[in-house]
Amino acid sequence: MRTKDFAYWLFLAPVLIALTLVVVVPMLLGVYYSFTSWNGINTGEFVGFQNYIDLFKDERFLDSLWFTTKFSVISVILINFIGLSLALIVTSRIKSSSLLRTTFFMPNLIGGLILGFIWQFIFIKVFASVGEMVGMESLQGWLSTTETGFWGLVILMSWQMAGYIMVIYIAYLQGLPKELLEASEIDGASSFQRFRYIVFPLVAPAFTVSMFLTLSNTFKLYDQNLSLTGGGPYNSTEMVAMEIFKTAFMQNAFAYAQAKAVIFFVIVAIIALLQVYWNKRREVEM
Amino acid sequence: MAKLLMDQLTKTYDNKVTAVENFNLTVEDEEFIVFVGPSGCGKSTTLRMIAGLEDISSGTFSIDGKKMNEVQPKDRDIAMVFQNYALYPHMTVYENMAFSLKLKGMPKAEIKDRVRNAAEILGLMDYLNRKPKALSGGQRQRVALGRAIVRDAKLFLMDEPLSNLDSKLRVQMRTEISKLHQRLKTTTIYVTHDQTEAMTMATRIVIMKDGVIQQVGTPKEVYDQPDNVFVAGFIGSPAMNFFNGRIEGNYFVMGQTKLLIPDSALPEGLDNQEVIIGLRPEHITHKPVKDESTVEVNLDVVELMGSEYMVYATLEGHSFVGRVDANLDLAAGTVFPMAFEMDKARFFNPTTEKRIR
Repeated sequence: MRTKDFAYWLFLAPVLIALTLVVVVPMLLGVYYSFTSWNGINTGEFVGFQNYIDLFKDERFLDSLWFTTKFSVISVILINFIGLSLALIVTSRIKSSSLLRTTFFMPNLIGGLILGFIWQFIFIKVFASVGEMVGMESLQGWLSTTETGFWGLVILMSWQMAGYIMVIYIAYLQGLPKELLEASEIDGASSFQRFRYIVFPLVAPAFTVSMFLTLSNTFKLYDQNLSLTGGGPYNSTEMVAMEIFKTAFMQNAFAYAQAKAVIFFVIVAIIALLQVYWNKRREVEM
Repeated sequence: MAKLLMDQLTKTYDNKVTAVENFNLTVEDEEFIVFVGPSGCGKSTTLRMIAGLEDISSGTFSIDGKKMNEVQPKDRDIAMVFQNYALYPHMTVYENMAFSLKLKGMPKAEIKDRVRNAAEILGLMDYLNRKPKALSGGQRQRVALGRAIVRDAKLFLMDEPLSNLDSKLRVQMRTEISKLHQRLKTTTIYVTHDQTEAMTMATRIVIMKDGVIQQVGTPKEVYDQPDNVFVAGFIGSPAMNFFNGRIEGNYFVMGQTKLLIPDSALPEGLDNQEVIIGLRPEHITHKPVKDESTVEVNLDVVELMGSEYMVYATLEGHSFVGRVDANLDLAAGTVFPMAFEMDKARFFNPTTEKRIR
């Protein structure tokens, strides 16, 4: 028994040590720093809950949190809707499906910063030119208002992530037993009814995975935010990750930023876990 | 209730592989037709063409005189039972059975009546609120049948519905399906690779090989009057024994062995011809009186089945099986006189493998 125990821990050791060193210790240290007046160089003195009390009065932080939440909710819905639709298209019997798969997945291979700059060009230059040609006022001046900045980010994020989420849905769609679909066809279901009553409930596990990935990715978004809007105009499209970064590295309020990061972590963790718990209950065992 | 007509039905994949070729069959109302044959013989493909799950490459299929080639599966008024049940895992037994009725927009009360009725017939009343994964294989198969019954469809299609069950349950479900058919009298097409199922359930059997129908007939017809070597060997268990030899006068000659054929059993014009004869195991047996169709053989294996022995032996290079009454004392390795009932022999052409009558 003892040797088995030893081997068990021996094989586990590399992962445990690595995880402790790069995740657990920094996190605990981070939590500790959030209770101090750390400025990046000196740990400073212990200030108790002062940082946490301050951040709940910090309007810029609360605004960014609200902006991020709105952005996440709409992006998660859009990304999953588009991802599932694309997956349904490429798993149907159309000829160019493998070409389409590659095409839809492509945006995901481009780095977030570059994507941001590409879309900045599209929103500012291309939209404006097209707007001029067709005489649509609403296509002018994109990214110069909070509203268009918000939708710019949503469009960028959906365009980038939908292809990735599509791959997950494809995997589940292809795993559906063919007989079930045939049985429903014989039972008299139209293609819409087949989707609603059979396909949709049976790809529930894909929802859990996709929702988790999209939620955590949209909440933590930083580079696309930086390159597309840079948080502007007037910090109105600044998301939490960027707000925390600026607090730390521009105002040198490291401990305060740390407290924000801890609160941010708790929020994301709670939402993600609740979502998984709630979705898991809907899943069906085959 | 339906009369089916399949005329020159053909299925070709990508213009290359032909899965079913010139399938002609008329199915009368209330018939229980069994398609039987080895894997890849095209029986399931034919069934799927009837269901509308597979496009028909050429030929016509009609139900009650109405051409069905282009009709969607849901509009053909058929019910189908799949090999692996194909129950919806996220629905209860009740919901599984009610699904098709719900899609039709039937009133809830009527759905309830129909599902309860079917559940009662199939003994599923206690399981209506369970999900499929909480059921045994036999119960799942019943739900699959129930889903077909509630539809009150014109035609039942069953694609190897019993092949996932253990042998005891299979026998039980076999009789249940037969009883169900006697009760509902719905025209049924049943696909299987198991000749026993075909023999016990069918009103008529369709035997297929390589996409081509070999013979259509009642179980008795295909057993007693097989059209060719394939049918003769496929139907019956243990299979029919075949011997290659030559007809000389009234004798069947192979090597040193000569067997006398009664006049009445010998087709005309076979003198000095090479033939294959087929004899069922029950026609190679023991007779107290030796005659010109009795041969001393060395017994390779003797299996006691209870009421009889299955006797495995070799004669002139042909291994064969015979049946001998269990009252005798038999042992492997001994020499024993076996009587070949040549009046029951079937004659086949060795080149075409077709029956010579």
